[in-house]
Parts: sequence; C-alpha cells; structure tokens
Amino acid sequence: MAAPMSGVGNPGVKSSSFNSTSFQKKTRSKLLSIPGTRPSVQNGQLLVSTGVTSLDFLLGGGLAVGAVLLIEEDRYDSYSRMILKYFLAEGVVCQHELFLASAQDSPDDILKELPSPIMDDVAIPKPMEQPRLSSDPQDSLEAMKIAWRYQNLPKVQSTLTSSSRFGHYYDVSKTMEAEIQQAAKCHRFYLPDHPNQTAPTHSPMLESYSALLKSLQEVIQKEGFEVAASSSKSRNILRIGLHSLGSSLWGDDLCCCDNPKHAHALTTFLYGLRALLRSSLAVAVVTVPSHLIQNRALMGRIAKLCDTAIALESFKGSEMETNPLYKDYHGLLHVRQVPHLNCLASQFPDHRDLAFKLKRKQFSIERLHLPPDLSETVSRVSRVELPGAASTASVCGLSTSANKHLDF
Amino acid sequence: MLLELLQGGDSGGFLLIQDTANYSGRHLLKSFINAALRRDEEVHVFCFETSEEELKEGFQEVQRLHIHNAYEDPLGWTKKAVFTVQQFSLNDLTRVIKLTPHQKTPIVVIDSLSWVLRHVCTTAVCSTLHQLKKGGFVRAIIGLLHADMHQKGTVGSVRHLSTSLITVTPSIMGDNCQAKITKRTKSGKVLQDEHTFSIKEDLTVMLLKSSNTAPQQMVQEEHEIDPTANLTFNLRLSDKEREAKEKLSLPFMFSKEKKKAILHSGANLGRILYEPDANDDFDQEDPDDDLDV
Repeated sequence: MAAPMSGVGNPGVKSSSFNSTSFQKKTRSKLLSIPGTRPSVQNGQLLVSTGVTSLDFLLGGGLAVGAVLLIEEDRYDSYSRMILKYFLAEGVVCQHELFLASAQDSPDDILKELPSPIMDDVAIPKPMEQPRLSSDPQDSLEAMKIAWRYQNLPKVQSTLTSSSRFGHYYDVSKTMEAEIQQAAKCHRFYLPDHPNQTAPTHSPMLESYSALLKSLQEVIQKEGFEVAASSSKSRNILRIGLHSLGSSLWGDDLCCCDNPKHAHALTTFLYGLRALLRSSLAVAVVTVPSHLIQNRALMGRIAKLCDTAIALESFKGSEMETNPLYKDYHGLLHVRQVPHLNCLASQFPDHRDLAFKLKRKQFSIERLHLPPDLSETVSRVSRVELPGAASTASVCGLSTSANKHLDF
Repeated sequence: MLLELLQGGDSGGFLLIQDTANYSGRHLLKSFINAALRRDEEVHVFCFETSEEELKEGFQEVQRLHIHNAYEDPLGWTKKAVFTVQQFSLNDLTRVIKLTPHQKTPIVVIDSLSWVLRHVCTTAVCSTLHQLKKGGFVRAIIGLLHADMHQKGTVGSVRHLSTSLITVTPSIMGDNCQAKITKRTKSGKVLQDEHTFSIKEDLTVMLLKSSNTAPQQMVQEEHEIDPTANLTFNLRLSDKEREAKEKLSLPFMFSKEKKKAILHSGANLGRILYEPDANDDFDQEDPDDDLDV
C-alpha cells in the first residue's frame, strides 16, 4: 500500500509534523535548512520547487539550487510566461527573494499577474495517496458492490505526481493579492531603464547582457546569497526570472538573422550566469524564443549551457489543434536535457511523450495516451501518419509506403 | 474579426499586415486608413514605397491625413529630404509627429516596414516599434511587411512584436483575397480567424465568406445501436426482476460493518496483533518449557 513518505529524515521542512512515523534521522548541523527547499532523495542536492508540481516530478523532485532552467517558448509565449509566473509566485509563497528581468514588459506588470495560491492547500497538505477514510462510509462502500475490496485504492493517475507534497497549487483565474506580493522582496531589471553605455569592451557579450549580469552580481553580493558568505542572518534563496532572452528587444540579432553577428553574446552570458549561480544560493529560469532562432546548432549550444532544458509546443494556430488525438491538451512538452549534478548519470523521465494542459487550479503535465480505436473504419495505416511524438514503435516499419499494412 | 479590427477597438496595439508578391496588402492598408479617417482620427503615414499622390487617391476627407513623404529621397542623398530612413527612431518619429498639432493621439501607419528593415538593423527597428507602442504617445501602429523580402528570422521577430497579425494571400477563386488573422488580447489569449473578402472602390471591406475557427466535426457520430434489440432471446430486465437481482446476496459480499473492518484495517501498517495460543508460553524464563522431552 502506498504510504505517505513526507518528511522522513528531513527535520528542516515544515511538513515534518505530518509524519506518519516519529523516526527522525540524525543529521549533521552543516546541512542548510532553508524554508521552501528540501534535499533531493537521489543525491542529497538542495531542491527548490518550480511552482508546478508536475514539472517538479519530471525534473526529479525539483530544481536544484545553483542550476539554470531553460524554457523554450511556445509560439505566442503564453505558456512559458505562465510557468515563469508560477515560479515567481512560488518564491513569494515560500518567502524567497525574487529578481525579474525583462525587455518587453515591465517587471511590475508581470508581477501584478502572478496567480494566487490556493490557501487551504498551503495550510494543510494532504498526502496524495492516503486512503479515503471518508466521513460518510455509507457512500463510499455503496459505490462498489462486488469489487468492494478495491474501494479505497487510488485511481490510475496519468498525471505525474510524487507521493510527497512539495510546492503549492495556484488558481490561475485570480491574481495574487497585493499584500502577499508586496511582502516579497523583488529586484527588477527593465532594459529600457538601462540605456546603452558605449564602453569599448572587447567582450563578445552585448551591453544589455553585461548590464544584466553586473546587476545580478551586485544583488547577490549585497544581499548575501553567496554560499561562502558569513551566515550571520538566516539564509534565503534568490529566484531569478529572465524573460525572453535572445529576442531582438535585448539588442540581440540571434532571432533575426541566419548568421547572426552576435552569435556568442547569449552563450557567453549563459556561461557567466551559470558560473555566478554555482557559487550562490540562487535558482534561475530563463525563457528563450527558440522558434525564432533559425540556427539549430546555436540552439543546441544554448541548451547545453543550461542545466535543465524543456521546450513547450503549443497547439494554437497549428494544424495539430484540430487533431482529435490532442483535443484534451494545450500543447506538447519536450524535455531536452536533464542535469547530472555531482553524479555520473542523470535521472531522465521514463515517459518521453508528454503533453500539458493548463487547468484553472493546476498546470498538469501528463503522458500522452493514445485513445483506443473504437471505430471500425479506422485502419492501422492512418495511425502511422500522425505526427511524431505520439507514434508507437511501428512507425519505422511502416513509414515507407502508406499502403503497406498487414492484414490477417 | 476583420471588421472589429477595422473599427479599431483597442489602443496601444501594433497591427501588422503581412503580404507576399502574389497579392499586395496595400489595398487593405488603405482601407484601414480609410476606416480610421471615417472615425475622425489623426493619421500619420510614413510612406517609403509609394508616392504621395498615389497614396492619396481614393480617400475623400484628407485634412486629418498627414503624409510624411519618404518616397522621394529616403536615404537623404539630396539635402532636402523630408524624411529619411535613418530618422526611423523614437526621438525623430515623435519630433516629426509633434510638428503638427492635434487633439487626439494619432495613429501611425508605416508603408512599408520592409523598406526600413533593409536599411536599418532589425534590432533597432524592433526596439523603436516597441518603444512607440509602449510610449502611450501614439494610439496604434499599423505596418505593412512583405514577407518574401526578408529572412524568416526577421519576419518572425517583427511578428512576435505585433498584437494583431493579418496575413493576406490570394484566394482560389477570382480576385478576392483571403486573410488569416491572429490577435493577442491583453489577457494573453490568442484568437484566430480566417476571412475571404474583397475591397470595393471606396475602400470599404466586404466580407464574402468567413470560415469558423471551430473545425466542423468531420466524423459524424454514429447513432448508438441498441444491442439488446432484435434478438430471439430477452436481454432486458423488468423492474421486478431488477429488484430480485439486487436482493440476491452473493458470496463474499459482507455486511457493511465487516467490510469497513476489513478495508480499514489496511491503514495501520505494521501493527502486529498477537493473541497468545494455548501452546504459547508466556513465561519468559524458560523458553524450552513446552518441549516434551
């Protein structure tokens, strides 16, 4: 039976009061215990929630502190922006500090749109797979007459969740109340406020990226986020959100030309960002409009320079919108890269064909199921013609000619 | 949706008309200007590709139409240029617009952006458009872009900035035109639509047929065939028979209390319930006492 695995051996996390056992692991005092983080079960790395519980599960429990998450934007930048907002909202709820940089919209506008947390989930986290000891046993036992022994087993879940709760749920239809949002400390970087200083540097980075990196460095040093800093006050995490890097509004012609002049600007910036993050208690989420970048090799380089990379592909406006296979979902999610920090192999998710759906109270990422073909007119051939991600392994055999199907 | 855009509902938007060599989007651009003039709006047109006379023909009321002629000397070769391509930056544009006094915030029309993009780098153009959009100084920006003149990345970057995008292509029959419209609302929603239209002599748009965005269900749902009909034996239950069936008690169907007890005992994992047997000796001292030796 699935038992809740919540804070066993984790005295730092607040949910330890909901343990089912009283067993507490003895830990050395050197382990940093910061609210809103927990050590990973795989390699003991300190993890932070991204705000989307399904994404946390996909990334192996959460985002590692000191790592960079790259999100390749969808065509109209609706869902990647949503994930960025979830990330910042999670920071507000966990009382982390925020740093938001944007060239397109003012950071204040983005902060005003943060989704509001669902408060009763925040107060009493219920472990997901606890058997439903419902208050009215009549109803629950009446529900199954013959198979009553299976009454309390959980239904098969296609959403990716783990057994222990980490992270909060947000209601997208409401925006976060102003008091909660202003209680969080947020550093802003809006590019039009920083006019170009024409300092003749020989670095391959653009002035906009240099200014951003310098600003980040100042914040990290001044507010004491470096790991090596003296821990006179309680430590906290800095959540960095960088919106739409590489777009033409940052002065970068990466998205405009096939052979950009500033081919190395963004890659140099990401290198500097990662170096900065490795020595500080910070997490960064970077969104890049990859659908505009024509040079795929460059996109590969950018993904390699970040620790985790996911790509969102929304169905809006493409022919996949009318495909009945995809009617329940809003888009596909591709995991391009998963980090291996301090270990040899990375924890790649088992399922590769993932689709996401933005519901009101949850951004759910599910495994794409092929629905059963119940109609008699559909032949086996037509399933092969469907686009790549959802096809089964029979594609390689049947892709040559459409008429080749084996009929017994 | 085309008619709504023509009425010009939202302010602070950047409308982009994208055309190709197959069908020119200039007629649609002129109908947008016409609709704005009909609404008594101030319109500033920066024309790079057509002469002033050619642009003015077809409009009835022209006193609110201000044309900045960049067609004659766009690169400033003579010293008497009215407007050059190099002046396409935020400061120069606002200065030129402010020269003519007007009551309402004006609408800026650029004909065409392709010309500007060939002489000024894309990042500068994008940032100018963005600042113009955000500045609150102009009410709306309408631009014309020839998609086949630029690289895909350039077209994509300008499209990314736009709040509404109209792609015009020639329609299959006649000399009508097909327009695909994508509109991004302020709340972040994306709406799409497709229209077939033609433009009349007086520059008004006439919609011929518009296809819905919701796709028609191609597969008709078959009527559910009732499997219990047309059989030689009876598969249905009458009410009495149903009652009797439910009253029947099957094996392994326990009473509610026993079910509850069995179900809920699984919750306490690891609890060992020990009832000492007769042979089990409770006496801890001599464990071999029960051996019969």
